[in-house]
Amino acid sequence: MTSAQLEIQLIGAIVAIACAIPGTFLVLRKMAMISDAISHSILPGIVLGFFITQDLNSPLLILLAALTGVITVILVEFIQKTGLVKEDTAIGLVFPALFSIGVILIAKNANDVHLDIDAVLLGELAFAPFDRLVVDGMDIGPKSLWVIGSILLITLTLLLLFFKELKLSTFDKGLAATLGFSPAILHYGLMTISSVTVVGAFDAVGAVLVVALIIAPAATAYLLTDNLKHMLFLSCCFGIFAAIAGYWLANVLDASIAGSMSTVLGIVFLLVYLFAPKQGVFSVFFKERQQRKEVSLLVFLLHLQNHQEAEERHVNHLREHINWQKVQAKTVLELASKNNLIYISDNIVSLTDKGQEFTDEALLYITTNKVTAIEELKERFFLFRG
Amino acid sequence: MELTDFFTDYTLRTITLGTAILGAICGMLGSFAVLRKQSLLGDAISHAALPGIALAFIITGVKDANIILIGALISGLIGTFWIKSIVKRTRLKNDTALGLILSLFFGFGMLLLTFIQKMPNANQAGLDKYLFGQAATLVEEDVWVMATVTGISLIVLLLFWKELKLLLFDADYTKTLGFNTRFLDILITTFIVLAIVLGLQTVGVVLMSAMLLAPAAAARQWTNNLGIMIFLASIFGAFSGVFGTAISASQNNLSTGPVIVLVAATFVLISFIFSPGRGLLFRKIRFRKNRRELHLKKTLTFMHHIVKEHENISRPHAIRILNNFQGFTRKTLNKLEDKKFVRIEGNQWAMTQEGYDEAESIYNQLGSEND
Repeated sequence: MTSAQLEIQLIGAIVAIACAIPGTFLVLRKMAMISDAISHSILPGIVLGFFITQDLNSPLLILLAALTGVITVILVEFIQKTGLVKEDTAIGLVFPALFSIGVILIAKNANDVHLDIDAVLLGELAFAPFDRLVVDGMDIGPKSLWVIGSILLITLTLLLLFFKELKLSTFDKGLAATLGFSPAILHYGLMTISSVTVVGAFDAVGAVLVVALIIAPAATAYLLTDNLKHMLFLSCCFGIFAAIAGYWLANVLDASIAGSMSTVLGIVFLLVYLFAPKQGVFSVFFKERQQRKEVSLLVFLLHLQNHQEAEERHVNHLREHINWQKVQAKTVLELASKNNLIYISDNIVSLTDKGQEFTDEALLYITTNKVTAIEELKERFFLFRG
Repeated sequence: MELTDFFTDYTLRTITLGTAILGAICGMLGSFAVLRKQSLLGDAISHAALPGIALAFIITGVKDANIILIGALISGLIGTFWIKSIVKRTRLKNDTALGLILSLFFGFGMLLLTFIQKMPNANQAGLDKYLFGQAATLVEEDVWVMATVTGISLIVLLLFWKELKLLLFDADYTKTLGFNTRFLDILITTFIVLAIVLGLQTVGVVLMSAMLLAPAAAARQWTNNLGIMIFLASIFGAFSGVFGTAISASQNNLSTGPVIVLVAATFVLISFIFSPGRGLLFRKIRFRKNRRELHLKKTLTFMHHIVKEHENISRPHAIRILNNFQGFTRKTLNKLEDKKFVRIEGNQWAMTQEGYDEAESIYNQLGSEND
């Protein structure tokens, strides 16, 4: 592995961490699409900044472009406040317009601007190591590493300083406001940090893919944990993994690094989406099936309890009475007898003592509407194990 | 370039016709997206179509516009239904799902595009026109495809007009009436995806969503009637397409997508400010007018308050005593005089019988509103 390769992976990983931190809060605050808007609308800011500074890594350009991002947010909020269009339409109107201005500016000044459309969409991570920062004749590493490194440092400092406030205002805006933390300052602070990060990352991964780095790690982590600190940590891990694996994938396919980074993120998300222990599609599917079975069992037991007459409790009658399919009736019947809740003699189903007791308690719980109680009840009766 | 070129030059006519039809269908279906609060779905769909474009090319190896469209359509549909399933099955919210699919699909698409560029196949050039659109590549066949799709969606729209309208404004009620909302939802979403895919060649993946939104958002400002809104949105869309193409054709080195979007954005801006019912300008004017009227009424009732203590209502009072009253200015007093509610004599004013009656009726109105 050459030092250029190492540097690319390092830059990729740092960009990924710098994006994942604000991304976590954006996803939790339901403002993920704002990052999409910012990443597009900073383009005119970058182009104008470039006209002024002639240097893509100049701090002034980053500030100008970040300002465009904040202006976008303000503009979107202004349009939302007029009530002329619904909230998401405002986002959808503002950023394409600004992005178009940026694209036209680039196209009209193609000769003067050292920027092209592909770089805008994809970034040029592969070339990052060639643009070195030289201080006093000493080569101290790629420029973009320093840029994104300082942004990450600022983000981390702010995160540590305001973690409590951010957490509170993310989960309970009203409480945060009553306790005296200004939601507006936190909101615009977060927006500013996001804008600065997007601008810093823009050079490396481009306008659209920076959105992938912001949203995807956080969304994936959100499916795995309920703890904010764990979520931050996990999304950073996913980001780093995507940066490194994406680099090698791009190496193999000889394709865009940024594109393969987001492809890796996509694969990771798909796996978590399908297999996550609590939120995943499969586990939700099995949970729902289990719950359906439990409800059926309860209905069945209540029916038995309600009817003393033999004919109401005949095996064949049950099927038509509760209107079940044959298979479902059989599963429920088996489940109940396996759990010793019923016994069958001469095709007549009766509740056992245990079944009677369970049904009574379950009925009590249902009528008094205690939500969690039924879980405890299931434990006590060793139910639903089969 | 002369204006008459549009009617004589074959290529230009094809392109103009194509962008006009595209604008119309986008406006028509975009109205539904905007009213259903699915504005950003268009953005996600158009980005999600990119891997389909690239894959269609990789699999077939030819750059046939229709095959690529089918690839884009499939990929766009997969993206759309994945978004819906993420929102339904996990705790992730709508905006996260949109941003996620948008960026991941687009990233994958870019990976494939850069992969294709390195392939030893001279055929690949020009796939990147799908990023920002190039109307100049439209041929007559494309226009026919667009016209057919527009025709079909118009027919479907008319067939399901009542159901779709109901679904837009009260989805729950639609369901209780026994309509299959799931079917209707899939129907309208599929047509929106179709419109987006059709526009990719002209406007491009990145900016297609604005083409869908902007005409509808502009049309929304002028009317509260769904039919009129759809009609207006189609017109706005068609004009944005035509103007945008004309401007970009007259310049070198300019993709059509950004120009069309800016023209459409101008329509939106004008509508936001100048629409008579909802526009910001008229709203401000109305606001001012209401406030002035309120001040006038306040002054009048205050005068009435003073006057009714006296037997002769027309007894003059000093203007000075009004000075402490908020909303009173010399101008309002003059206006009251113009309306003959008061008479001004030197620095004294006197209420007329008309003014007294008017103030009484204000009181009565307030009273009946409070009841």
